[in-house]
Amino acid sequence: MRKLTDLSTAHKNWGELPQVLDQGVETLPQLLVYQAGRFGDRVLHRKKDFGIWQRYTWNDVLEQVKTFAMGLASLGVKRGETVAIVGENEPELFWSEYAAQSIGAKAVCFYPDLTAAQMEYMIVHSEAVVMVCEDQEQVDKVLELEEKIPAVHTIVYWDERGMWKYDHPKLMTFKQVQEMGKEYMVRHSRSFEEEVATGKGDDIAALCYTSGTTGLPKGCILSHTYLFDTVLRLAGAYPLKPFTQYLSYISPAWGTEQMFGIAMGLLLPLVVNFPEEPETVQENIREIGVEALVFSPPQWESLASLVQSKIMDAGPIRQWFYEWGIWVGGKVNLGRLEGKKVSLGWRFFYLLADKTVLLHLRDNLGLQDSYFNLSGGAGMSPDVFRFFHAMGVKLRSVYGTTEMNLLTMNQGEAYDLETVGTVLPVQPKFGPPLEFKLTDGGELLARGGLGFLGYYKNPEATAKQMMDGWYCTGDVVSMTDKNELVYLDRLVDMRGLSTGHFYPPQFIETRLRFSPFIKNAMTLGDKEKSFVGAFINIDANTLGTWAEKRGIAYSTFADLSQNQRIREVIKGEIEKVNRLLPEGSKVKRFLNLPKELDPDEDELTRSRKIRRNFLEEKYVTFISHMYQGVSEFKAEVPVKYQDGRTGVLNATVYINNLAKEGKEQQ
Amino acid sequence: MAKPHGEKVGTMKNDAWLMLAENISLSFDGIVALNDITVNVSHSEILAIIGPNGAGKTCLLNCLNGFYHPQRGQIFLGDQEITSLKPHQRAKLGMGRTFQGVQLFPGLSVIDNLLTGRHIHMKTNALHGFFYRRWTHREEMRERRKVEEIIDFLEIKHIRHKLVGSLSYGLRKRVDVGRALAMDPLVLIMDEPMAGMNLEEKEDMARFVIDIREAKDIPVVIVEHDMLVVMDIADRIYVLNWGNLIAEGKPEQIKKDPAVVEAYLGEG
Repeated sequence: MRKLTDLSTAHKNWGELPQVLDQGVETLPQLLVYQAGRFGDRVLHRKKDFGIWQRYTWNDVLEQVKTFAMGLASLGVKRGETVAIVGENEPELFWSEYAAQSIGAKAVCFYPDLTAAQMEYMIVHSEAVVMVCEDQEQVDKVLELEEKIPAVHTIVYWDERGMWKYDHPKLMTFKQVQEMGKEYMVRHSRSFEEEVATGKGDDIAALCYTSGTTGLPKGCILSHTYLFDTVLRLAGAYPLKPFTQYLSYISPAWGTEQMFGIAMGLLLPLVVNFPEEPETVQENIREIGVEALVFSPPQWESLASLVQSKIMDAGPIRQWFYEWGIWVGGKVNLGRLEGKKVSLGWRFFYLLADKTVLLHLRDNLGLQDSYFNLSGGAGMSPDVFRFFHAMGVKLRSVYGTTEMNLLTMNQGEAYDLETVGTVLPVQPKFGPPLEFKLTDGGELLARGGLGFLGYYKNPEATAKQMMDGWYCTGDVVSMTDKNELVYLDRLVDMRGLSTGHFYPPQFIETRLRFSPFIKNAMTLGDKEKSFVGAFINIDANTLGTWAEKRGIAYSTFADLSQNQRIREVIKGEIEKVNRLLPEGSKVKRFLNLPKELDPDEDELTRSRKIRRNFLEEKYVTFISHMYQGVSEFKAEVPVKYQDGRTGVLNATVYINNLAKEGKEQQ
Repeated sequence: MAKPHGEKVGTMKNDAWLMLAENISLSFDGIVALNDITVNVSHSEILAIIGPNGAGKTCLLNCLNGFYHPQRGQIFLGDQEITSLKPHQRAKLGMGRTFQGVQLFPGLSVIDNLLTGRHIHMKTNALHGFFYRRWTHREEMRERRKVEEIIDFLEIKHIRHKLVGSLSYGLRKRVDVGRALAMDPLVLIMDEPMAGMNLEEKEDMARFVIDIREAKDIPVVIVEHDMLVVMDIADRIYVLNWGNLIAEGKPEQIKKDPAVVEAYLGEG
């Protein structure tokens, strides 16, 4: 156990934020009312609509929330009940959540690309009584489930496109609910303000269902105090400016957006910008000159791959300039990150590289003004971090669990990219400082702050996570001598081989994913197997272009993936990763999957993580062939099309050897 | 008719139909293209005109929109006879159309292409534009807003600044529909909107056709080769063969009609 915290810088960074919470502000709606009194006509939310950034001031937002909250009350929503919300990030989604909380109900958000069946369990388990949906797509899913979710008495939607012919007794528009709210306020004496004032800090603000890589999803409880605690942890670790331009893009179904867009948006406050469409995010980031950005690792990775694949399309001179700029940027910025002094000559080169290449890269990505860039969650390849730092974008890791809140972040100006940073400061009003402990197996245990509030209606699962007052994260980490955490892998995912060697699957997979040619990868190997194998999901976009340029003909994805030269390319990419691994943990054989991994077939989770156990079952013949030393075989893979039809994909799959030993295994 | 040309059709005297073509006959040097055809379009429907190659579908369409003038017969839009009007005059009266293939300005952006559809509603000219006083500014704001509503409706936000020439065929076709909608038409005539599209693009287009009828309450006339799509979305169908009208009715009736089966469905 180590004491890690020094609160002096944190106090400086917090400034007057903690005082705000002393003004009788315990819940998010109370904070909204209080801050609206201070900031009135300043902008809180912005959303691009009809080609223009429409502004919603604090007063506007308060009015929207108020009428919707009273509308919910008139629909009979009571204190402690649940309002479920599903849609893309739009102001109405945030307003619905604040409105539900205003009358003491809790909110639960779902990823908009969930299928109806995936949503059903969470709607039933959270006991939702009202479903707030974005559009026709979401309404259709909810109507499909109608008989299975009898507790839901009202289905509200805010985007009226395509809904013209719907006639269902439970359906209402967002505006209709607000109109009911206005009437309700006239008829009832108990006002919005009284409802808001009744709220308590330890009321449940939101439930966050864990993505469920194993078993059924668990509804993690986030209270209002929990969310305030988070904001102050971040604000203490880094000097954030009030009215920072923030882009709300990650889904509030993920706890991280509850902490940022929803809670920090009100407390710091932020100007929360909503993209027009998921397809226009890149353009929107540029337009608003975003200053704070939180993406998940796959999103940062895809941004990096985007740059690389675009550069591949450029001519040789531009490519050379780009390579040179990134090289100089890397030398200087990565040196600074290690705390080194930069010589005058290098500074000159950097200025040149910045003006010719790096500035334009940042500008094109819209990251020119962005001073607070976070990658939420562990497991991003350090190569991606290096890439962004070389470009001049200060990317930081923040690490935590939904259950135990945020724990560490890369702080200060010099930090180690291989780590997820040092411990975050906890404001004393929320609890004792965070403490960490490592078990013999390397698992991280944590306590302090507000602690773990439990899973909703699931005391067994809650108890399982706790050990003598410590929360078990299930993550294997190590700690550097500067008290920085190095994330290795999930405890359940560290794997041993029959040879006695251990290997970290996620470590290998994230590094493989960084290749522009590889979209996804899964490593194989356990106590019965003597070496590490890999399934590769090739990136058909970049490899397709690559193949076209070289005149390689292909028809389908399956055909492309098994092409001799494509397999050589992938082999090269795996060899790069193998160089980082000790001998016993290297990948020895691999195959390219003949179809794309797809969340609709349950092969990936919605946040695009691979579902290992499911894949191992589905592709059991692939695995047995790999370990029997076969070099090619005929495969049959069941596939599900988007319209619900199923079929079988037939393909010849080749298995490739990497190291010399590969030929004589077993 | 008493009404001056160029003024929009006001109140409808007629509840049964919005557009009527009565006893139309068209021939080219003795070759009869249309023989005594009577069709009508009601106020709220998706009407399809189908028929095998050379049946006279496009001839009929061109009579409706004024590219051809039939030798016999009359055409009405609302309470006004339009038989002798030119295409642009019919457009001003509220007849919107999309073309077979795409006839857009490839060098202009999507927004600018849609704005050309608003041209008939704009009152300022190039000189106004040069001095750009408040009036001109207000008009530009108003027209741009209209165009943005159409962009929202057709879900083409992500390409609004792209040049039309750089878009895929399916998207260009959508812009084409958008330009016709920009005119605020009373009726929309579409010439083979699904030709040359893949399945997904066809599904999208079919949905937009239905949305135009449901959300904007504009009747749509489609001339289409693709039977499957037509049977799915049309409320009523006319079938032509060799310049003659051989059947009229709901899709279910048309499917069973022996004359249609022989002329069209049975041909393969």
